[in-house]
Amino acid sequence: MSPHLTITLAGRAAVTDLGRFRGPAFGLPVNGALDQYSARVANILVANDEAAPLIEAVAFDTAFVPSVDVLIAVTGAPVALTVDGCERPMWEPVSVCAGQTVALSSMTGGMRAYVAVHGSFAVPGLLGSCAPDTVIGFGSFLTDGGQVALNAQTAAPINPYFGISLFNFGVDRPFFGDVAYIDVTDGPDVDEFAGTSRRLFDAPYRVTPRSNHIGLRLTGSLPERVRSDEMISRGVPVGAVEVPPGDELLVLHRGRGVTAGYPVLAVVTSTSLDTLGQARPGTAVVFRRVTAEHAARDARAWRERLDALRDRVATVYSCIGAEHIVPVRSSGCLQGA
Amino acid sequence: MSASARIQETGEAALRVTGTTGDRESDWRLVHMIARAVSVPGVPGVHSAIPTYESVLIEFDPMITSAAAMTAIVSVVLSEVDPSQPLTENPREFIVPVLYGGEGGPDLADVARTTGLDEEAVIEAHLAPTYVIRCLGAPGGSPMLDGPALPVPVPRLKSPRTHVPQGAVSLAGRQATITPAPAPGGWSLIGRTPYTVLDLAAEPLVPYAPGDVLRFRRIDEAEFDALRGMRLEATKEEAK
Repeated sequence: MSPHLTITLAGRAAVTDLGRFRGPAFGLPVNGALDQYSARVANILVANDEAAPLIEAVAFDTAFVPSVDVLIAVTGAPVALTVDGCERPMWEPVSVCAGQTVALSSMTGGMRAYVAVHGSFAVPGLLGSCAPDTVIGFGSFLTDGGQVALNAQTAAPINPYFGISLFNFGVDRPFFGDVAYIDVTDGPDVDEFAGTSRRLFDAPYRVTPRSNHIGLRLTGSLPERVRSDEMISRGVPVGAVEVPPGDELLVLHRGRGVTAGYPVLAVVTSTSLDTLGQARPGTAVVFRRVTAEHAARDARAWRERLDALRDRVATVYSCIGAEHIVPVRSSGCLQGA
Repeated sequence: MSASARIQETGEAALRVTGTTGDRESDWRLVHMIARAVSVPGVPGVHSAIPTYESVLIEFDPMITSAAAMTAIVSVVLSEVDPSQPLTENPREFIVPVLYGGEGGPDLADVARTTGLDEEAVIEAHLAPTYVIRCLGAPGGSPMLDGPALPVPVPRLKSPRTHVPQGAVSLAGRQATITPAPAPGGWSLIGRTPYTVLDLAAEPLVPYAPGDVLRFRRIDEAEFDALRGMRLEATKEEAK
């Protein structure tokens, strides 16, 4: 039988990737991993392409049994990671033998954990991406007792010994605490809120339970739009901060509809979007105003950390004689074709 | 005609370009021309371009390119395109059968009341135009159309529906559309088409593109049942 994972506890998990970048031109949201940094690191640690399909497990416990020996890495929100009951580290490559049970449980902060498997998954794609799209009903969601196919070229694990981790990559971990500091740039429509746009920075907001991959709803002091004419639909970016009718601030995330008719007050930076992707209901959000140059600099620094990690991973794998696990070169480009 | 536009940074990973030619039709053509020009392999780092009526959102990877580099590219495009030219040389025509009112058009009576017309007059107004597909919207590639000639704009529902079925034919403000995939929505539903619009196995996912034209055709329940599930296809490829 072809290699696969048998899902013994599905929780709320799906196979995803960095997103459907060709979707927005067709009216589909980009979707994909809400914490892109953690997803990329997971794939880098197992020498996959950063954009390779991986599991995103949201909030609930998840467990699975591989049918073949696999090398995995778990990143994102802090969970207890065990292999046949033995604790294993997150943010490092972990060897798992065929038939062992891998369990992610007791998420203590954040919202989303990522599981990458060397060789990745064989799942259906749409416009070049496997990312679930809940609106059109596409995606590979894990189900209790179900299977997820692995690509056949999955390599044998490097370190099959119980309790021993050969790896210590010391990856920078994102923040999963009770207060999220979120950098934003001024939106193109900030003038429509006149002086009230400053309210965004006056006091913390709080994430409400009516938040998901489409957008986060926050309570707090709302800026007020000065103009009231109806706006014609136009493209809105992931990260757009809007003030729709009602008493909540809306921050659009990767599942957002690509067009909308609300003015864009501010735009969350790409690095802060990862932080928001881990914000639980109840999390306090402090917005900080930055320039686009500052945001671009942060994004470049983030890219350099990932590139440096990939190089270290390649060095370690070759030093321990695991040349058969050849890291996929980073293209740095998410877009594919 | 000169192509003029306003370019605004929209975060560190996107630009909004708004047409400022002074003519609505030219602005629409211009932003779609810009979208096409930057969505080619020769422009590195562009994730997607989302053109609508008067603006286009260009999303890019700030690791590969920058707002300054994208602004320069858009400026070059502006010097090269002519928004007085048609967007599509050979627009295709799509005919969408609609069963008006009833279960599939629960807001028809409300639309009639708000606009001061009777239901038949709303239907007639909706059937009258040959609509130009202005852009593709959410969810799943809805064809966004300029709405029919009604005395007043159709207000959005005070409480949006959590579920609008696939095939819904709807109005809001001065806009009209059909819904390719079930989704929440605040538009007024005046009818439903039996056709399937979205095909996840096809590329493109929807058969039409901005610049193509669309007409509605009234059908009865018997024809709705007979046509149910058929795929929307171009009825003619117009020769120039």
